[in-house]
Amino acid sequence: MTIPAECPFHSRSLPGDGTPLAPSPQLAAWREAGAFVPLDFQDGHEGLVATRYEAAVAVLQDPRFSMRPSRMPVGPPAHGEEGKAESAAVPLEAPGELDASGQASDELNLLNLDGDEHAKLRRAVTARFSVRQARAREPWIRTMVAEQIAALRERGPVVDLWRDYAMPISARTHCHVLGIPEHHYERFVALFVEESTAQQKYDFIRALLEERADSPGEDVITDLLQNPELDRVEVEALLRLLMGAGRDSVAYLIATASVALLTNPEQLAILRAEPEQLRPAVEEFMRAGAMFVTLFARTALEDVEIEGTHIPAGTSVSVSPVAANRDPGHWGERPEEFDVTRDAFGHLGFGYGIHGCIGQQVARVEIREAITALLESFPELALVDAEQLTPQPFAHPVAVYEAGTVTVRLEAAA
Amino acid sequence: MSILVQTDACVGAGQCALVAPDVFDQDDNGIVLLLEPDPEGADLAAATRAVRLCPARAIALSTA
Repeated sequence: MTIPAECPFHSRSLPGDGTPLAPSPQLAAWREAGAFVPLDFQDGHEGLVATRYEAAVAVLQDPRFSMRPSRMPVGPPAHGEEGKAESAAVPLEAPGELDASGQASDELNLLNLDGDEHAKLRRAVTARFSVRQARAREPWIRTMVAEQIAALRERGPVVDLWRDYAMPISARTHCHVLGIPEHHYERFVALFVEESTAQQKYDFIRALLEERADSPGEDVITDLLQNPELDRVEVEALLRLLMGAGRDSVAYLIATASVALLTNPEQLAILRAEPEQLRPAVEEFMRAGAMFVTLFARTALEDVEIEGTHIPAGTSVSVSPVAANRDPGHWGERPEEFDVTRDAFGHLGFGYGIHGCIGQQVARVEIREAITALLESFPELALVDAEQLTPQPFAHPVAVYEAGTVTVRLEAAA
Repeated sequence: MSILVQTDACVGAGQCALVAPDVFDQDDNGIVLLLEPDPEGADLAAATRAVRLCPARAIALSTA
């Protein structure tokens, strides 16, 4: 088939409605209309979005699609519904001048690179993210999670699971694996979870590299400092990406999985009765609660034929993990249901292909340990309210769902 | 059935070592390591699943 110039069915902009666990119905309508549908990107260019599982995986695995030019995942139109435009315009990064070395590092963002250039930099950091390495981190993660449970009890009985539990678990693990000493934790959170300029981030990274030069450890920074094939601009580029990459995605997943369980008591009961089910259930948390509505768009380097669709060279193609994760063509009947007994491996919650999440094995351990400890520690845990139950503006300009506050009561009211 | 691995293509996502730990591991650099080139029974089923899940198409089944 060819792509109709005018999509006869629906809007061509990304829908701003929908929530993590109940995405916009427009995504399902798009998926029914075709494996690829036209999409108006926020920067004004036109392209396609892959809505079905097989098409999405095919694009993400195909080297004929380039990460260049760099295009952010599209957000909803800035002139959206009343009241939304202002909050949607909050940038992820504060504007500001960036020095020449920082600009050179920014050019080397792994998410802008293809082929050998990408492989060289990605391989410089794969060592710390293997299944074996993630398992070796389990005891540390378990101890740290126990500390966060103790902190929750102290703060309770009503807490915000995102701010008081999920975020510190994610940020502390990030620091531990990358090799950011604990005394920099607050600064790391201020720069990479909250808002800062690119220059502030590079200044932090450079000072950290100085500090760590004489104190090697079992961490990413040590590996990078000892790698003779990398220059300083490359090392700083990798660290900027890695520090920002887990910015709040693991915390988002812990918070969203909690909301999914607390709003689906029969699913919660399964995991309370059979805690060993939690390991595979993490995949269902990732499938049903995927964060990215669209990924960074790829550009076809040549004419490509996928799933019967002809994609001309130069076409910008994004992928919707949220849509693909609910494709009945792949997941069978009731893909909309949250079902912790489902075999959800192969979901696009960590992306897919060579740019897929490098930290996914560590993330799996974090999410599993966080939810396990939460369920074990608080048998009467109950949801009070969660912002993510109603549509929230995307964190402009990236089309991702936000965790929002997740208010829970730890113990039954006296 | 034999397993073929292409270490050049591997991106260290670790899906294979996760779902078929008796067939695949990762070396010190995170790159795929083949433990059992001719898996049988449950290991073959797990390896087949790993082939399907590999995001970089770095592993394959060969009937040769």
